[in-house]
Amino acid sequence: MMTHSQPNGAAQSPEETPVLEAVNIAKYFGATTALSDVSLKAWAGKVTVLLGDNGAGKSTLIKILSGVYRPDAGELFFKGKKVTLSGPDEARALGIATCYQDLAVCDLLSVTRNIVLGQEPTKGFWKFRIYDAKAADRLAREALSGLGVRLRGNLRSRAATLSGGQKQSLAIARAMYFGSSCLILDEPTAALAVRQATRVIEHIDRARQMGNAVILITHNFNHALEIADHVVVFARGRVIGSFERDEVTMQMLTELVSREA
Amino acid sequence: MSQKLMSSRSREAAEWARELLLRPEFTAVGAAIVVVAVFSSMTPLFWTIPTLASISSVAAELGIVSIGMTILLIAGHFDLSVGAILGLASFFVVTLMNDFGLSPVLAIVLAVVGATLLGLINGILQTRTGIHSFIITLGTSLVYRGMLLAFTGGFPKAVDMPRTVSNIIAGPMLFGGMRMSLVWFVLITALATILLLRTRLGNWIQAVGQNPRAAHNLGVNVTRTTVIAFMLSGALAGIVGVMQVARFASVDAMRGTGIELQAVAVSVIGGTLLSGGYGSAIGAMMGAIVLATIQTGLVLISAPGFLYTTIMGVIVVGAVLVNNWFSSLISRIAPMTGEETEADPMQRVSSVPRGKEIPKSRGEGTTIFPKALPAKREAQK
Repeated sequence: MMTHSQPNGAAQSPEETPVLEAVNIAKYFGATTALSDVSLKAWAGKVTVLLGDNGAGKSTLIKILSGVYRPDAGELFFKGKKVTLSGPDEARALGIATCYQDLAVCDLLSVTRNIVLGQEPTKGFWKFRIYDAKAADRLAREALSGLGVRLRGNLRSRAATLSGGQKQSLAIARAMYFGSSCLILDEPTAALAVRQATRVIEHIDRARQMGNAVILITHNFNHALEIADHVVVFARGRVIGSFERDEVTMQMLTELVSREA
Repeated sequence: MSQKLMSSRSREAAEWARELLLRPEFTAVGAAIVVVAVFSSMTPLFWTIPTLASISSVAAELGIVSIGMTILLIAGHFDLSVGAILGLASFFVVTLMNDFGLSPVLAIVLAVVGATLLGLINGILQTRTGIHSFIITLGTSLVYRGMLLAFTGGFPKAVDMPRTVSNIIAGPMLFGGMRMSLVWFVLITALATILLLRTRLGNWIQAVGQNPRAAHNLGVNVTRTTVIAFMLSGALAGIVGVMQVARFASVDAMRGTGIELQAVAVSVIGGTLLSGGYGSAIGAMMGAIVLATIQTGLVLISAPGFLYTTIMGVIVVGAVLVNNWFSSLISRIAPMTGEETEADPMQRVSSVPRGKEIPKSRGEGTTIFPKALPAKREAQK
């Protein structure tokens, strides 16, 4: 184990408490140890990158952070308060939004309907409420322009017409618009073309500037170094390095990951 | 200046037309027009009240079941038990009036409630076990049918329903002979269309059928939405069961047999995807009209009976082929009117820290292992 530096961002963070903090998390699946003694902090206005090879435990950790799994040991703190997440709904209600790589978008619904899904605006009275298409379009436009996402084509055309990158950006815009303070992004740039990935990275940066705590999972070192404020490296279910952006180089990360894996 | 205005207006019209052609029901509307044109050219008897009454009566009953099936298919599930539910609902009306002495209105309401509960059972079984709805409802259809056989003892049971009630439900009250079921059919189609296109539940049903995991992640209650779709399917089958009692004043053990597959066929002709997520109630209406017109039209031109099922088979496969071909043709035309969101407030990211050591040539995709798509139904448990 090398350079266990300052726990990430302690010195220069603008706010005193991290938005989301995991302390000594462990998770076992039968005899397999998926995670042991994992700690992580996500600060407002900062991007924390989780790096690691396949099977390192990144996915298990984000499933714990987003309430899908319950940890077998360890504690979660949201804005300084201890929380136990009993399900994804609870995480979302707190303001922890998770965007999964392949699972963000319903292809045959329109762009607007995808953005408002689950939060559809309605009009009418008492129980007789119908979907308010105009308000939905307005929300969708606000959500997209808030992040600076530009879409060719109509808000009412099917999401299938979007590129992979646009779908990711749509998911990020949606999560931000509906009041999340912590964005968890699972491999948003995997399987994207270069230009699309650049776009998505720009949108992540925009989300950071708007004060979100971003946790970005990737195994692309380039993207990690491009956007990260903090880098946390995983191998075999443990944190093997936790760095400030200035402290790390490509070589260090490559060596660290390949040696441990 | 006027030229620009014109061109933008005509482009809007073209875009509107394009969107319309992309609607799932479009092929079914075309098929209905073709079928009606063919038969009305073959027989002078086509545009007469008895013919139209016969077509609308068959179309209404088949169509209402199919709308329930369509909603459920959009949510990503089958219901093979609608035929048996229809039969049981008919039986409920008859037995509640005959053996329990309930008023016809109460018996009808309870029969529809009973049918809804049978749908609820389907929904709960599917969502609890995660077994494919095809299997679940195949099983329940046999159980429900068995119950109907047991209750009726295999014999037809007649009921004496007051004329006023049966007339309101399915009596020949319109335009000198058209049945009232047509009114209910149109009403239910309209309500189902509003449900699918203009309510939150409708949006959820579509989302759940396409990508249950995404819907779940966004806070949609996937289980509840699925169960409601099963209940709607059961309720609509129950309504048709009531209509058939009003029409025949009896129930027998085989009532509703085979309508489940006809309903699937109608949904498919109407542009609904068997894979879920997409479909239309108006399409189901048109599909039912197509089948009913063929059924009645063949009798009118005294064609041999076997032709009906044969033609129906050809139409089902043909409709899907035409649908696929047509929508791929239309979607190749790009949207006419673009709507770009507000200009990017942050033109280019210059603030992103860039590590000097990143070799530019390797820019992208060092390690890309796209995750396998998770099984579609997995999230619904």
